[in-house]
Amino acid sequence: MNTDSKGSIKNVISSLARQFRANMQTYAITLALIGIWAFFTLMRPNYIAPRNFSNLFRQMAITSFLAAGMVLVIVTGNIDLSVGKLAGFVSVVVAKLQDDVWTQILPDQPILTTTISVLAGLATGALIGVLQGYIIAYWRIPSFIVTLAAMWMLDGAILLVTEGKTIAADQPALAVIAQAYLPDYVGWIIAALVVALLFFRMFSGRRKKRRYGFDLAPVYLDLLKTVLFAGLVVGYILMVNEYNGIQVLVLLLAIAVVVMTYVSNNTRFGRYAYAIGGNREAARLSGVNTGKNIFGVFVLMGFLCGVAGVAMASYVGYGTIAAGAGYELDAIASCIVGGTSTLGGVGTIFGAITGSLIITSLGTGLQILNVQAAWQKLVKGIVLILAVLVDVSFKKRR
Amino acid sequence: MNDETAVGNGIILDIQKVTKEFPGVTALKDVSIQIRRGEIHGICGENGAGKSTLVKILAGVYPWGDYEGTVIYEGQELKLERSAIRQATEEGIAIVYQELTLVPSMTVGENIFLGKEPVEGPGINWDKLYADTQQVLKKYNLDIQSQAVVGSLGVGKMQMTEIAKALSEDAKVLILDEPTSALADDEIEGLKEILRTLKSHGVTCIYITHKLEEFFGITDTITVLRDGKVVTTQPSEDLSVEKLVGYMVGREMTERFPKGNRKPGEVILEVEGIRAQDPEEAGREVVKGVSFNLRQGEILGIAGLMGSGRTELVMTIFGEYGKITEGTMRLEGREVRPKSSREAMLDGISLVPEDRKRHGLVLMQSVLKNISLPNLDQFASWFRIDNLAELNASLKFAKSLDIRAPSLHVPCDSLSGGNQQKVVISKWLMSKPKVLIMDDPTRGIDVGTKYEIYKLMNDLAEQGIAIIMISSELEEVLGMSDRVVVMHEGASAGTLDIADANEEKIMALATGVANGNDSGNAVGSIA
Repeated sequence: MNTDSKGSIKNVISSLARQFRANMQTYAITLALIGIWAFFTLMRPNYIAPRNFSNLFRQMAITSFLAAGMVLVIVTGNIDLSVGKLAGFVSVVVAKLQDDVWTQILPDQPILTTTISVLAGLATGALIGVLQGYIIAYWRIPSFIVTLAAMWMLDGAILLVTEGKTIAADQPALAVIAQAYLPDYVGWIIAALVVALLFFRMFSGRRKKRRYGFDLAPVYLDLLKTVLFAGLVVGYILMVNEYNGIQVLVLLLAIAVVVMTYVSNNTRFGRYAYAIGGNREAARLSGVNTGKNIFGVFVLMGFLCGVAGVAMASYVGYGTIAAGAGYELDAIASCIVGGTSTLGGVGTIFGAITGSLIITSLGTGLQILNVQAAWQKLVKGIVLILAVLVDVSFKKRR
Repeated sequence: MNDETAVGNGIILDIQKVTKEFPGVTALKDVSIQIRRGEIHGICGENGAGKSTLVKILAGVYPWGDYEGTVIYEGQELKLERSAIRQATEEGIAIVYQELTLVPSMTVGENIFLGKEPVEGPGINWDKLYADTQQVLKKYNLDIQSQAVVGSLGVGKMQMTEIAKALSEDAKVLILDEPTSALADDEIEGLKEILRTLKSHGVTCIYITHKLEEFFGITDTITVLRDGKVVTTQPSEDLSVEKLVGYMVGREMTERFPKGNRKPGEVILEVEGIRAQDPEEAGREVVKGVSFNLRQGEILGIAGLMGSGRTELVMTIFGEYGKITEGTMRLEGREVRPKSSREAMLDGISLVPEDRKRHGLVLMQSVLKNISLPNLDQFASWFRIDNLAELNASLKFAKSLDIRAPSLHVPCDSLSGGNQQKVVISKWLMSKPKVLIMDDPTRGIDVGTKYEIYKLMNDLAEQGIAIIMISSELEEVLGMSDRVVVMHEGASAGTLDIADANEEKIMALATGVANGNDSGNAVGSIA
C-alpha cells in the first residue's frame, strides 16, 4: 500500500483527489460561508468591516457552544431538545447567585463571588446532563422524550428561580466573560503561539510518520496547508485588532472547539460515539460500553450548556424567563447545516461551528439590509432545507 | 444465433456488448448474454466479477445511458430512465434481492401490494388485496398465509413472500440475486420447487448464486463471469461444480477445503451443561444444556438446523445473549462467565458474528476504524489515541489477510462481502483471542475468497488459536472441522470425531432421529 513510487506526482494528485472527495462537504459549507459574506459585502461594503466582523463571532458564540456539544449527541443517534432551556436555567441561576445570594453572604468580594457563581453554573449544567444522560443511557428512554420533558421542567424551574422577574447580572467581574476584549498584544501572543503550534504539529507528525515508514505527503503540500491555516489565524487577529481586539468569549469558544474536535477524533470516547451512531449493535458486540458512552455524551452536553448559560448571563447582563428560548433548535440547525447526519454516525465539530456561523452571518446580513424579521425567518428555513438538499445530493454522487 | 430479430428466436433478453465503468474500475466489459424465453439461466462469478452490476443495469439502478452497449428486451431496446425504480418492474423484469426488502411488521398481503394497494374510493380495498394475494400464492404454489405477519415467518417463507411480491405484477423475467444465502438446505429445495413451477408458467428466471451445487438440476444454461467479462455460457449438462470453479477462478481448483496441518493440543475451553434464556422473553429457554470441550489449535464445527440454537449458544459464550441459568464454562481451567462482549474479549474469547453487516461492521466507517474499534485500548491512553500506531497495526492485519481495498480509509460498505469478512476477522484477531468463534464465516462469500478464509482458519489453528465454527453448509463442517458438535433443539445432541462423521450421521443427530448417547457413533468426550 505504501511501497511503490513514493511521492510521485501521480500519487500526490490521486491522494489529493481522494482527500478532496472525502472533505467535499467541508469545502462546500466553507464556500457557502464565503459566498454569503461576499454577497452581503457587495450589497453593503461595511458588512465585512472589523466592527461587524468582530460582532459576528460574538453573536454566534452562545449557540456555537451548544452546537459543539450537540454534534456528538446527534452523532450517537440521539437528540437534545433541552439545551436552550438548560442554558437559560444556568443563566438565571448565575444571575440569582450574583444579584441576590452573594450580596447578602459575601458582600464586596466581586472576583470570588463571580468565580463561585461561574463554577456553580457549570456544575448545574453538568449535573442536569448527568440526570438526563442516566435516564437516556441506562433506563433506555428515547432522548427525544427525556429532553422534551426536561425542556418543560427547566422552563418551570426558570420561573421558580426568577419568580417571573428580571434579575440583574451586570456585575463588572461577570461581564468580563462575554463582553471584554483582550489588548492587541495579547492577540498577537496568542497568534504566535497558535502558529508555532501548527508548525510544530506538522513537523512532529511528519517525523512520526517517517518512523513508522508511512508515505509522506510532499513537504511543500504540508507547508502550504500549515501556512494557510496560520494565515487564517493571523488574518483574524489583524481584523479584530482593527476594532477592539480578541473577545474573551470568542477565545473561550475557540478553546471549546479545539477541545471538542480533539475529543471527537482522538479519544476512545469520541471514536466510540461515532461507532455507536454508525451501528449500535456492531459497536456493542465490539466491546463498546454503549450506555456509558451515551451517558458521557449527555454529561458533556450538559457541561457545555453550563458554559453557554454563564456566557448568556454575562452577555445580556441579566437573567430573564425568556433566557435561551429557541436556542436548542438553532444549535440543531447549525449541526445539520454543517453536515451532521440526523441518522447518526456522521458529523464534525468544525462543520457545526461553520453552520452556526452561516446562520448568524445570514441573520446579521439580512438585518443590515433592513429585511423584515418575517422574511429573515423565511430565509433561515429555506437555507436549512437547501443545506440538507446539497448534502443529500453529495451522498448520492459518492 | 446472429438473428437480429431475437424474439422469433426465443430470446427474451439479449444483452449485447455491455460495458460499465466506474472511476478506476471496469465492472463489466463487453458482456453479451442471451437469455432464452422460459429458461432458468444461472450466472456465477467471484465477488467483483460483475454480477451485481449486471443486475443493477437490468433493474435500472444504472439507467440507460450510464453504460455502453445495448440490452434488447422482447425485441426492443430496454431504456430504463434515471430514478424510475418501478419502470423495470412495469416492463416485466422483477428482481429478488439478496437482502430481504420486506416490512416485518406487515402481513404477507400488505407486503406484496406495498406501493400498489388496490383502492376503493379514498381507502384501501382490503378484501381485494387479500383475494389477489391468495390468487398469486395459489398460482405459483406458494405455501404461505396471506394474512401472516412477515416478521413471524421463517427466512424461507420470507423469501417466498419476496418472490410473490416480484411476481404479483406478471413478471416475465425474474432475477434472483443470491436468494439462498440465508436459507437452510430443505428451504433451498423448496425454492427450487418454486422455480420449477415458475418455469411451467413460462416465467424466465435468472439465477445468481455463490453455491454452485445449486445450479445443477435446476438451471438450463449457466454463464460464468470473471473480472467483468463473460468466460463462458454453456448448457448446464455439460458443466460440473469443478468445471465452474475452474472457470470462475481461472485456474483449476483441486480442492475446496485446504488441508491444514492442525495438531490439536490441550483442552482450553470446557463447556458443561449450559442453559440460557431468551433475553427478550423471560422464561423461554433457548440453549437447553450444551456440553463440549475445545482444544487449542482445533477447529470445532457446530452443526444443526436453523433454529437449533447454534447462534444463541455462541452468543451466550460471548456474553451477549441471555443469562446463563445453569452450567459452567471453564477457560484454561478457570471458571468464566462473561456478561458482555468486553468481558469475553478480556477473557480471550472473540466472535465473528453471523450477520457481518448488522453485527460485525460499522459499514459507513473506514476499514481502519472498524479494525481498531475493539482494540483501541492497545493504542490509547485515557486522553489520546496514537493514530499512527493504530494505522500501523491495522495495516499489518490488512496485509496479512490480504484485504483488497484502495486504502484503509475507504468505508467498509464499498468493499465486497469477502473483503468485509476479512475486516471483521482482522478486528478480532487484533484482540489476540485464545478462542475465536466464527458464526457462519463464509456466508455470502465467493468460492475464491472462501478458500482464502479456510486457509486463514487453518493458519490460525496452527498458531494455537482454538476455533469454534458454526456453519449451515454440511460440506464445510465436514471439510474444515476436527470434531463436530451437533445441536438439536437447543441442546448438544452429540459430538462426532471427523473420522467417523458424515452427512447422514450429522443429519440424524440434528433432526433428533439419532441420539448422541446411544448411537455409538458419537464421541461423548475426547479421549
